[in-house]
Amino acid sequence: MILSASGLVKTFPGVRALDGASLSLAAGSVHALLGENGAGKSTLVKILTGVYRPDGGTIELDGKPVHFTGPLDALRAGIGVVHQERNLVTEFSVAENIVLHHLPRRFGVVRRSRVRDEARRCLDLLDLDLDPDAPVSTLSVAQAQLVEIAKALSVDNRVLLLDEPTASLTGDEADRLYAIVRKLTGSGHAVVLVSHKLEEVFAVADTVTVLRDGRSVAEGQPLSAYTRDEVVDLMVGRAHAAVSLAARTPLSSDAAALSLTDVATSYGHADVSFDVAPGEIYGLYGLVGAGRTELAKALLGLGSVTAGTVSVHGTPVRISGVGEALRRHRIGYVTENRKEEGLFLEQPITRNIGVTVWHRLTRLGLIRDRAEASLVDDYRQRLGIRLATPKQLAGQLSGGNQQKVSLAKWLAADCGILIVDEPTVGIDVRTKAAFHELIAGLAGQGMAILLISSDLPEIVTLADRIGVMAGFRLRGELPNDGDYERMSQSIIRLIHTPLIPAAPH
Amino acid sequence: MTALLETPPEAPAARARSLPLWANPRLGLLVLLVVLVVLFTALRPSFLDVDFTLVPMQADISVYVVVGLAQLAVLSLGHMNMAVGRMAAMSAFAMGLAYQELGTPLVVDVLIGLAVGAGLGALAGLVISRTGVNSFVVTLALDFALVGLVSLLYAKATDGVSFGAQPGGMAALRTDTFADYCAGNVCGPPVPLIVPIAVVAALLVGLLFRWSRTGREILMTGASVKAAELSGIPVGRRVVQAHALSGLLSGLAGFLLAVNNGAFSAGIGDAFLLPSFLAPVLGGTLLVGGAVSVLGTFLGATITQVIYKGLNLLQFQVDQLKLYIGLVLIVALSLDRVRHVLAERRGARA
Repeated sequence: MILSASGLVKTFPGVRALDGASLSLAAGSVHALLGENGAGKSTLVKILTGVYRPDGGTIELDGKPVHFTGPLDALRAGIGVVHQERNLVTEFSVAENIVLHHLPRRFGVVRRSRVRDEARRCLDLLDLDLDPDAPVSTLSVAQAQLVEIAKALSVDNRVLLLDEPTASLTGDEADRLYAIVRKLTGSGHAVVLVSHKLEEVFAVADTVTVLRDGRSVAEGQPLSAYTRDEVVDLMVGRAHAAVSLAARTPLSSDAAALSLTDVATSYGHADVSFDVAPGEIYGLYGLVGAGRTELAKALLGLGSVTAGTVSVHGTPVRISGVGEALRRHRIGYVTENRKEEGLFLEQPITRNIGVTVWHRLTRLGLIRDRAEASLVDDYRQRLGIRLATPKQLAGQLSGGNQQKVSLAKWLAADCGILIVDEPTVGIDVRTKAAFHELIAGLAGQGMAILLISSDLPEIVTLADRIGVMAGFRLRGELPNDGDYERMSQSIIRLIHTPLIPAAPH
Repeated sequence: MTALLETPPEAPAARARSLPLWANPRLGLLVLLVVLVVLFTALRPSFLDVDFTLVPMQADISVYVVVGLAQLAVLSLGHMNMAVGRMAAMSAFAMGLAYQELGTPLVVDVLIGLAVGAGLGALAGLVISRTGVNSFVVTLALDFALVGLVSLLYAKATDGVSFGAQPGGMAALRTDTFADYCAGNVCGPPVPLIVPIAVVAALLVGLLFRWSRTGREILMTGASVKAAELSGIPVGRRVVQAHALSGLLSGLAGFLLAVNNGAFSAGIGDAFLLPSFLAPVLGGTLLVGGAVSVLGTFLGATITQVIYKGLNLLQFQVDQLKLYIGLVLIVALSLDRVRHVLAERRGARA
């Protein structure tokens, strides 16, 4: 065993985050660390990498007990990590971020060319075509995630912990990452993988530890000993009922709620045409960087529509901002980037939900706190938001509950058209299923939903029709028959069809 | 103060509620204030002398509460207004000029001056929201330009220092307290007439940020511009409004100082910049935006003036005075931070 931890205990006021968790890691293997949100996975990762000190238990590296005094200490011992949260210096360049912990210096001066070369090498490992000089602030969420991974690879670690590394990556990018992971284990490294995506876990991991309520309920077993359902049962702690959504018949309506005809945008979209009827879920599938989020932003007036027509309920419109989209056309947008764009993390939940409807809650120009509180209470019950008090800061909620709050403000605003962008990224299995039911329920009530997702199972579960986007163009549209195998094959085929067929040789 | 200011508004309130009582920064300030008053009174009983100390101190506090509110208006956005002093000076100039040229009554002069202040603030806000240049830079440049303009204007319209004639009522505002107004045998408290002006301003600002849509949307913009824009808040308009409010309150502070000094003069606002940050920051308003405390600003301004007055009575020299005020404030802010960190550590979450 390279690294083993046993009986780890960590308490925070009011919470026993870890209560005797154990984990052991063999060289040359990929070890999956699974558990629901709040099971203690991230706490365990942070203890193993020196961020937190355990209240009890032991950690052994190569059979010798170790006590890390801080993250740098763990890094020096050869334990690298990619945390769930972003840890990049956004004003620095890609290259500087990658080699941040060991900037090549001569006479105390950073050697720029060496920085670039070293970064280039790490980016090449991931087959990443990024400009090493570009500031991180200009990258997309997925690109930043990949830079984070490149940074972890820049040091020769014996143990690498990846906490939700693919949360914002597409299938292709994830595959590339896992190819690297296999290369690493092949040369004797040990990798710990924390992920909500069970498909990936089963494809990559050799052994598994399952955490539940801070304890290890399965420890170091070969993953092949379990089926997917058994693993889910272990995580959830009860016999798991397979979630299947009630059949939903979209309202057939003549007037589309939202329709696009030959739309081009300032982001570079061209010839995008589709429509979404009331009561319909239109799935927009594509890889990261395909231009789906940008299309939504152009529709909302954050970018601009340069050609073609956008119509809302049959009337051509030109929207100049989210406020106008909301108040005049009742269009809401649940962003993919909930921490930065969807929520005010440092503000109470009440304000996070009330922000779209304050104009409705005023009397004599002043907002009635009681009306706001009852609104929040209403959505807390409807969406099952778990909170200590409505005055709690949004940043203190778990990921799933944050996402519910981010959705609640648009429901409160009574939207007729809802654009939902990657709604279940980084959310655990059970909450994800609840979210899917919720979205289906909203469509059932007649809402027109444009679902942007790069999660194939999600889009096949939910969408009535699926538009496939690649390179800022719509490659095609498929009616969804719900057969996952067939649908996913057709979708993948559409993505990889060249836009202009190559000339025959 | 009233119930409105009793519960510190906005996010720190929520945070404070989840933290133990002793970690509430406002409570700490209140304790500090009481300790200082007791200390100074013990050393110099004349500290509680009504005419000699208390009345002038209330007048000074009124000015610096409003100065603090002027900065608080943009701190709510996470912005700064480096031109509070010069906006106050321009505003006061407009008041003096209006009376000199138009002979209008005091109320009208003041309204004209406040409009000038608000206009200057709005201009700064407009430049900031349109160009995206940092508020520090924009207002610093504006301050620089206005320094020159103020002395040019005073040289042109007056003897170069101050207006010769003041509107009727200025003198009464300066010298009278409510104790001078009696109904039968019952007279008012020894409170200068300008105190209610500052109190009403504080109440209105508190009301704005606590319960009005505009105020809350300004705070949300301060908390996260991206999230505010994607929640449908007209971000640009809110930035302009917050800066206009800052200009207006700067103008009001300029007026109150002119009342205390007895004239609209070129030097008004010269000493506003530092105190404008001191009062709100001492009172728990964040520099990063998204949370303000009007009550804290009131306490911050009061403590600063109490220290000033107390050390003055103990016959410290002006330079020593500044040195000690600086030291006391560093200690106060550090203690506050220590208390907060301790509380957060105890209340930390997984």
